[in-house]
Amino acid sequence: MAAIQGRQRIGDKQLGVLFDGGKVRRRREWRGVKDTLYDYGRWLYILSILAKFIVKPRNIKAMFRYRWMANYLAVPHMVDKFTMGLRDEALRIVHTAMDFVVYDVANTMDDVFRGDRRTGNDVEFSNKCVLTDENEMTAFMMGFPNVKAILREVPTMFVANLLTQNSTTHYLDVAQQFGIAGDVCPMPEAEAGISIDDDFAVLGVCAVQCNTTCDGSLMGNGLIAKRLEREYGIPTFQLVAPMRHQEDDVQAYAAQDIKNAIAFVEEHTGQHWDWSHYFECAKRVNDTTRNRLAWLEMNSTPFPQFVGAPFSLYNDTNYMGNCGRSEKFPPIDRKIMRYAERGSRARRMMAKEYRHRAIVWGVQPQYCIDMLNWMVHCWGIVPLTDMLSLVNTRMIADTDTPENREQAFYDMAWLNENMIMRNRTHGGYKVLVDELWEFCETMHADMVIMWEHMSCKALTGMHGQFEEQARARGIHLVWVCHDLCDPRVYTRQAIRDQLNAYMRTVMREEPLDPSIEVLPDENAW
Amino acid sequence: MQIPKFAWKLLGVGAGAFAVTFTIYFFNLDMKLLSAFEPILLRHYDRIPRDQHL
Repeated sequence: MAAIQGRQRIGDKQLGVLFDGGKVRRRREWRGVKDTLYDYGRWLYILSILAKFIVKPRNIKAMFRYRWMANYLAVPHMVDKFTMGLRDEALRIVHTAMDFVVYDVANTMDDVFRGDRRTGNDVEFSNKCVLTDENEMTAFMMGFPNVKAILREVPTMFVANLLTQNSTTHYLDVAQQFGIAGDVCPMPEAEAGISIDDDFAVLGVCAVQCNTTCDGSLMGNGLIAKRLEREYGIPTFQLVAPMRHQEDDVQAYAAQDIKNAIAFVEEHTGQHWDWSHYFECAKRVNDTTRNRLAWLEMNSTPFPQFVGAPFSLYNDTNYMGNCGRSEKFPPIDRKIMRYAERGSRARRMMAKEYRHRAIVWGVQPQYCIDMLNWMVHCWGIVPLTDMLSLVNTRMIADTDTPENREQAFYDMAWLNENMIMRNRTHGGYKVLVDELWEFCETMHADMVIMWEHMSCKALTGMHGQFEEQARARGIHLVWVCHDLCDPRVYTRQAIRDQLNAYMRTVMREEPLDPSIEVLPDENAW
Repeated sequence: MQIPKFAWKLLGVGAGAFAVTFTIYFFNLDMKLLSAFEPILLRHYDRIPRDQHL
């Protein structure tokens, strides 16, 4: 593609000046008066969220009980990683999305500790909570307005690793001390380690686990369910989504399993399914889908607006954690849309030059989550979308009719089967390989950043197919190996160096900002 | 029109608060301080007796 030239960035030009090899950055970025003051205002807002959270005695108690809570010291640092180098609308979009994710996670944690037997111990509240696997769409909870779906792995493991790179290492060591192999995906292995270490909050009247990710996830869930059921007396349902989720002949089974999950929740919470609330949530799910498709369309133009890890994490939160159940997401969607439209009209760019348009495929390294933002500023590569954001595109039934009440079970099953990531890593060759090239065409991408999660067995078999087909299409395919959430195997710089080597040796290009080609962040949060 | 004394005071407090918080923000003093707490917390977690088992 022909490079697109933009204007020079106001404020700090060389972003490497922010790094000094320590745990945190030397200073915050100078973005010019207007954007620095905006960023300062958002920093105050984040501090206010954290202050409101930590003033509660039960949350202070939790801070001293749970090891993973120490990662939450780094919340402002995490937001700084996502906003590095950004100005104008891009800065505002990332803050709007990520600050809301911070708010949402803080609320989840507040709920977790309210019901937790060791800290808040609010039994009445706990009896209205259902522990819900972080790897499933919470669609089967859309008809329970008075029941809380608690995704306790999200703050304990998933977000903790976005905050600090070493958040999982203690738990991985614990799991391996108990004989679990070291080459399992570190995400479920860390979750198993948290359970073995007795470091999960304990709450809820029942739990629903799923098989949606992989065999590693099944291993972790088995251990967690054992402790939940036998030690804490929390009955656990296994929601089993079919692997061949594109096939018509599996849908009736999938819908039936959703019915079973709902019956299980009704039985243990004493609450009844509310159809009017379900269809209200369904309307919001459709809104989310429409907005995401509009952002993707915008990203197909020469001036993408909502991209990178914030796009992925916001979609993750909106689909998986929320799934139309919260009224607070639509206004945030609309605000992001306003910024994105304004940025698109003004032809705003995140870096002074766009040299390549990339689709990001596979699963990202959680501990190097800001790499996509780094890629824009260091090499002028724009991540148009990632695989995880290419989730459901179907509109679900959102009006209450007798036919739609039956269709609703199929819709919930469809959402669950097509959970983020799984809709590509399962379901066959077409969704994983063929559709990648279709996305490259519709989004005018000349490059694919191919995350290769070394402990994931799902994608390994396709390596040669990807290479052969990318070559045939003239698309630059850059393999970037990582170990998802264990930085001891592939360090952050080892991850970046793979792209650096490709850009220098294959593309023969020089970085836009040489000061960040090598970052001294081995010891950083 | 004379500006009331309390308004001056309010302005002074506001300006002072801005100067202090902006200095903390810009030089990343909040993160530098909190990062010093992490090793203390980790030592504390190591001392908590845990019921470790599969």
